[in-house]
Amino acid sequence: MAEVTFRSVSKQYDGDGPKAVDSLDLDIKDGEFMVLVGPSGCGKSTALRMIAGLEEVTDGELLIGDRLVNDVPPGDRDIAMVFQNYALYPHMTVRENISFALEVAKVKKAEIKARTEEAAEMLGLMDYLDRLPKALSGGQRQRVAMGRAIVRSPQVFLMDEPLSNLDAKLRVQMRSEIIQIQRRLDTTMVYVTHDQIEAMTMGHRVAVMRLGVLQQVADPQELYQRPANLFVAAFIGSPAMNLINVTLGGTAERPTASFAGHTLAIDPRAVERYPQVADRIGSSVVLGLRPEHFSIEGDFDLPADQTVEFEIDLAEAMGAEAHLHITLDVPVVELDGAPVIAEDGDDVSTSTTSVIARIDGIHFVRSGEVVKLGVKTHLAHFFDLDTGLPLN
Amino acid sequence: MLLPDDVDVSDESLPLFTFPDSSTRFALVDNDISVAEFRPLDDIDRIIRLDVSSGDKTGDVVTIDGDEEDVFAIEVDGTTIEAYRSRLTSGGRFVSLDDPADERVELVNLVEPVQQFGPRLENFEEVLIDKNLGRSLTNTVLVTIVVVSGQIVTSILGGYAFARIKFKGRGPLFLLYLGSVMVPFVVLIIPLFQLMLQVGWLDNLSALIIPFMFSAYGTFLMRQFFISIPVEIEEAALLDNASRWKILWRIMVPLARPAIATLATFGFLYAWNSFFWPLVIINSGNPDGRVLSLALSTLGGRSSTDLNLVFAGAMIAMTPPILVFLFAQRYFVENSASSGLK
Repeated sequence: MAEVTFRSVSKQYDGDGPKAVDSLDLDIKDGEFMVLVGPSGCGKSTALRMIAGLEEVTDGELLIGDRLVNDVPPGDRDIAMVFQNYALYPHMTVRENISFALEVAKVKKAEIKARTEEAAEMLGLMDYLDRLPKALSGGQRQRVAMGRAIVRSPQVFLMDEPLSNLDAKLRVQMRSEIIQIQRRLDTTMVYVTHDQIEAMTMGHRVAVMRLGVLQQVADPQELYQRPANLFVAAFIGSPAMNLINVTLGGTAERPTASFAGHTLAIDPRAVERYPQVADRIGSSVVLGLRPEHFSIEGDFDLPADQTVEFEIDLAEAMGAEAHLHITLDVPVVELDGAPVIAEDGDDVSTSTTSVIARIDGIHFVRSGEVVKLGVKTHLAHFFDLDTGLPLN
Repeated sequence: MLLPDDVDVSDESLPLFTFPDSSTRFALVDNDISVAEFRPLDDIDRIIRLDVSSGDKTGDVVTIDGDEEDVFAIEVDGTTIEAYRSRLTSGGRFVSLDDPADERVELVNLVEPVQQFGPRLENFEEVLIDKNLGRSLTNTVLVTIVVVSGQIVTSILGGYAFARIKFKGRGPLFLLYLGSVMVPFVVLIIPLFQLMLQVGWLDNLSALIIPFMFSAYGTFLMRQFFISIPVEIEEAALLDNASRWKILWRIMVPLARPAIATLATFGFLYAWNSFFWPLVIINSGNPDGRVLSLALSTLGGRSSTDLNLVFAGAMIAMTPPILVFLFAQRYFVENSASSGLK
């Protein structure tokens, strides 16, 4: 077991191309479950592959334990990796797959057998030891890939989107299995995913990356409640945080936010958390409201100036909750010239802003209906329009 | 001779023939004996063929067309007549199947062989031993095995290097290598011949083996296959601390079985059937250096009458390629390289 330390590590594929990873500083503690998350192309996989030694470090220092590993070949780093597509050896049985590393390390036969079976036992693979990978289901292959990593008792586990090829149900199950295995082995784990739900549920801490730059490292709760910038705010949470271009008005004691003909009073507690709001009266900022910050008439006890009437475009009843889709006639919030909510290839309208409100499932709302929603503005977030930084 | 039927006479299989004046079949018990042709003095247009030891000189002499000839007393059908010996030649001794006492001497090409179609395994024995095809077969097998194994090993090594090991000039070198596929072999014959001459490999099996152990086509084939193997499998092995060498032989080669089978089959067919280069380089007429294709072409020359042997030789030459193809074809369709992935 060991900690992993990035000291301003950069990765550049071409001499003058963009940096896949830009001056990454990250301390992963011994025994910690660290999740790297971000949209595709954010550099999370590159960072992981640098730990593995599969990518060279262009600049900076990478340490595993106290050892500088910039130039240590992958095999000598004492790490194990689970690949997105599992990368099992197709011509070897489950047993051979799991024991290959031990065999290469010239471990004694009896010990190989014992350790292989111990790992197989832990993963429920005992009945499949003599099968070839092609005779296994996706979940079983995933377990074999895990077994291959576990059997070596490495210093660090690396996982590169290991669950993305599983169906939703299996993903949930494997998620908890991986968490349990990590707790049991107490080995440092670096886990890469683009799925922020995985990130939130699995990691001790989560590192959010964007375009090669680390945005925020924090535990899941902190990440959710105190996003370090607009990007983290938009990325973490599902449905995502609603980000609305608003104009601040009112007084410094009781400011208001106006957008698309609506005016919303802002609770002083929000101003306490975002003191700069008081200085920005009269200017435009980004208001961030999570879907659960809305509630429908009857469910809230809020002053009248914290309620707004919206026309509901689409009401999705999910059972326990309902999602109300609202379109606001305000330009969408942009970050570096692109809609902040857009993933690669998304075709998003930029002249209007979509808002999703989450209400209790017992309420029946029809699409097209006009309803009065209360807004818990004391929980609201505020960001600068240009820098994307929080106004705190 | 067209496949004469076989009969056991004194433990040997003998070809059968018929004579115009008899309905019984005769076995050719003795081939290539010395035969004397006698012409009776009272009817010198008639020819009587007998074993060279028959007939006794009477001591008289006759003059025929200005030449003096000895007079022999010979026995024909129980009567003794006087005749002179017009020439000595070679022929066969025939024995009637119905009457062992009925023994005749005749030129083999003047009697009618009994034509009968059917399997005759002795053809193989004759062609392998009498015609020395066995030696050619051994040569071909040797050449083919060494060429194919050599091609597989060098193609695997070269293909892997071109596919996965980064080194300076890899791209241009590969293009150059691949470009050599486009040079027709005919163009290479003379320079290659000169090279072999300098190395001293004329008439030597080395000339059939060494230049063909390296295959640009095979290297290309293996490279393409190695590239198609997901790189993660190799990375997983790297993380398992396996060396390049180990990764190649334990991971990549077992996965490349279909490509290797393809390469081996093509290499085999090419080496086994190659004719022109052996014809050029094994040229001293020393039959011990011949390969099967050469021996076969000699066997089936313009004046060949032993069609049975030509066919037997052709069978021998055909069988291994067919077997190899049948055996290898299941690998053509099998591609297990991606089954370890999602």
